[in-house]
Amino acid sequence: MSGGRALRILLAFMMLVVLHFTLRPFLGWRTEPDFLTVALLLAAVRVRPGTAAVIGFLLGLGRDALLLEGYGSSAIAFAFVGFGAAWLKAAFFADNLALNGFFFFLGKWAYDVMFLIVERRLEGMDLAIQLGVWSPLSAAVTALAGVLVLIVMRPLLQAAPT
Amino acid sequence: MSRAGRFETRFDLVLLVGCAFLGFFVRALPAHVRDPLASTIRRTVLAPLVSLQRSAELTRGALDTYDSRTVALDSLALQAMEARSLAAENDALRGLLALGPRLRWGWIPAEALSGASATSEFTLTLTVGSNAGVRPRSAVVAPEGLVGMVQTVDPSMSIAIIWPHPDFRVSVMDEEGNAFGIAQAHLGRGPERYLLEMRGVAYRSEIAPGTLILSSGLGGVYPRGIPVGTVLHELETPEGWTRTYLLLPSVRPQDVRSVVVIDPQRASEGVQQVWARQSSRDSVTRRIVAANDSIARRQAALAEAARRQAETDSAAAATPQTVAPQPAQGAGESPSPAPPPGRAAGQPVRTPEARPAAAPPSDTGPRPDTARRDTARPDTSRRDTVPPGTTPPDTTRRDTLRPDTTRLVPRPPVPPEKPVVPQEPA
Repeated sequence: MSGGRALRILLAFMMLVVLHFTLRPFLGWRTEPDFLTVALLLAAVRVRPGTAAVIGFLLGLGRDALLLEGYGSSAIAFAFVGFGAAWLKAAFFADNLALNGFFFFLGKWAYDVMFLIVERRLEGMDLAIQLGVWSPLSAAVTALAGVLVLIVMRPLLQAAPT
Repeated sequence: MSRAGRFETRFDLVLLVGCAFLGFFVRALPAHVRDPLASTIRRTVLAPLVSLQRSAELTRGALDTYDSRTVALDSLALQAMEARSLAAENDALRGLLALGPRLRWGWIPAEALSGASATSEFTLTLTVGSNAGVRPRSAVVAPEGLVGMVQTVDPSMSIAIIWPHPDFRVSVMDEEGNAFGIAQAHLGRGPERYLLEMRGVAYRSEIAPGTLILSSGLGGVYPRGIPVGTVLHELETPEGWTRTYLLLPSVRPQDVRSVVVIDPQRASEGVQQVWARQSSRDSVTRRIVAANDSIARRQAALAEAARRQAETDSAAAATPQTVAPQPAQGAGESPSPAPPPGRAAGQPVRTPEARPAAAPPSDTGPRPDTARRDTARPDTSRRDTVPPGTTPPDTTRRDTLRPDTTRLVPRPPVPPEKPVVPQEPA
């Protein structure tokens, strides 16, 4: 990966991180889009699985710092999601928005499942409702936001002609 | 798969396992170790992001609560406006509550409604009428002083003229009862339209600015002792035999909300003690200020007297031939100057030392010595009560404060006139 492309990806990654902390509070929805997951997936498909795992781990540590409980849960979940996204990137190389949206949906849902299991805060019916209702809804919103981000950032994320 | 590819795959797996191990390790850390770590991350890497998030949440909160806050602010502004008017009304009612017990009887509280049109600018509609005992020509007062007079009475309401009315007249006097006059609307233009003027004051009665003017009770409508206004300054009028003063009224028409109608029978018994407490406090304050002014003027008069004496001495030394020969006087006394033309030869001559304050320079303002004479009057009675011979002969105070001491000099006995007997013709 060239330096310019890496710089553009880093810029897009930082913009999504900033969006997560600025746009999300404005929305105030019950199911909010997770721009951190979108940023992680966008970066993960462009690096090796090990690097994606490290990026996810660091991103998760930052997210956990804002939580009162379950410190480390996001780090573990993001590490696995990043590794999986990077490992499965061959399936999503196609420039198809629907496939990418489904990729975002899966990534967000997988993150929620792992986070809630590792965090061990919810149990029983609450955990089931969260995993079966709210997490898919949040994943769908995140997928929608990810698709919009892809459309907006297409010039930035496209590979430079060689 | 090539060897390098297998190595990379294993390396990726190692990284994943390492990250997972670290994650679980961090997850298992005790709180006293985990919290400082999280705090460090929040205060360093995440600080700008957290600041952004806080700003975003504040903005969203402001947007969410904008409408409700606007409504709350409008309500508060409305309540503040009402509170201001309520406070003013409360003060007026408290004043009336304090006025009522002092009047004791013969007073009727009333709400004053301002005139409904520009033509009724100087009238008040009172919410009480003949059913409540209001009679025409009853005085209308407020805690601050005189408001006006009832002119028309209906069973349930009445109409009163207030002091700016062109027909309003009240006999007034100063606090000491030395100067009397008639107060009426000033009929000036602009803001001066809402001032009073006190006309017909005897020329010898000078009133200092700031003096409280009270109703005198003459005329039978307004009882004696109601504050009418305060002297601002003297007005220049064509009449040369009376003085006219501009008064600042005690009651502002726009502040009149609640008033008291004094029954004519109650008015005939006087209300002097109702406002006396306030007026006496003002009088004491004014006396203290005047006393200080009197001391300062006395010192200035002494200096002026010394200067005149020096001028007189120098003039006498320069022109000794113009001085008329004087009879021999006691040792130490200076020869008196010749009497001015027109003065009788036997008339006593007042040296400048004897009456320094009686002849102030003409450029020192209009008659500044009246207040001094008033404030120094107690000295006169003190001098009268001191047994003769116990007072030092030339006290400064007596000389400078009583220019009219010659009145106390006993006149020589006048020989009885011979009765005129008509002479009969021879």
